Amino acid sequence: MISCKQVAELLTSDQLQSQSWWRRMEVRLHLAMCTLCARLARQLNQIRAGARGLREGNEADGGLEERLIRRLTRMQ
Amino acid sequence: MFFAPFDKFCCKIRAVFDTHFVTSALTSFMEVRDNPIGDMRLAVPISADFLDRLRRREPEALAEAVHEHARTLFRAARGLGFDETEAEDLVQDVFTTFLDRLDGFEGRSQLRTWLFGILHRKAQERRRARTAYEHDDPIDEAFESRFDGTGNWVRPPADLERLFLSRELGELIRGCMDVLPTSQREAFLLREVEGLGTEEICKILDVTVTHFGVLIHRARARLRECLEKKGWSQT
Repeated sequence: MISCKQVAELLTSDQLQSQSWWRRMEVRLHLAMCTLCARLARQLNQIRAGARGLREGNEADGGLEERLIRRLTRMQ
Repeated sequence: MFFAPFDKFCCKIRAVFDTHFVTSALTSFMEVRDNPIGDMRLAVPISADFLDRLRRREPEALAEAVHEHARTLFRAARGLGFDETEAEDLVQDVFTTFLDRLDGFEGRSQLRTWLFGILHRKAQERRRARTAYEHDDPIDEAFESRFDGTGNWVRPPADLERLFLSRELGELIRGCMDVLPTSQREAFLLREVEGLGTEEICKILDVTVTHFGVLIHRARARLRECLEKKGWSQT
């Protein structure tokens, strides 16, 4: 039987998809029955959703491309 | 003996309940985990014609490449902790290097993968810090301490549902990103913020799939520790 720690490691390291079919089923069954691991899985998804929001604060201003093209063309 | 029919009835009820519970939990899980990166952005192959135009240094082709990728590269540079000026310089540096080495580019790699690879190396140069594979990371100990000898939770994930429903989650993550070492931060940024696939990230960072697994595992473990701390301080 797969342990909580093994499930947590597979979830956080993105290694689940490279596991055998049987291993993936073990993880799925474990998640269906273990509320703590299911909570971890849910939180990892929420972190992913929150991380996508980080894009907004890091966007360039509207003139970035034109400035770059100007400079790069000068260098050619 | 007297209770046998009742026991049988209970078993049936339990079987139905278990099946329903497992099925519904499985369905929701499979929806989430079989497609771990919901809107993964696939790298688009560069066409031979476009590559030729770039090699001829056609200004329109260069402008096209800049319009296609500069904004994403800038965002990634900002995500790595560079300020706006540094990030713009870095992106310019990436394109300059790209043009210098264009003749050696065989088109087998995707343009985006190549540009991100250059960004990764340039960012490293600027930091003058080699992205090392740190064998002893204190976060591993923190992760281990959450389980007993048989692998059961002794310090389960804190129930942060209330916190996670908050719109401040993005900002909390931004604050916690600063605690990540560069290599883990890059792995997290490319995977979770930019939504790239494992294969492409491994090419960009020049690491194996296993090494990437270690980096993303440590990044998430660190972030979760940090978020939990912030969650506890707020409740």
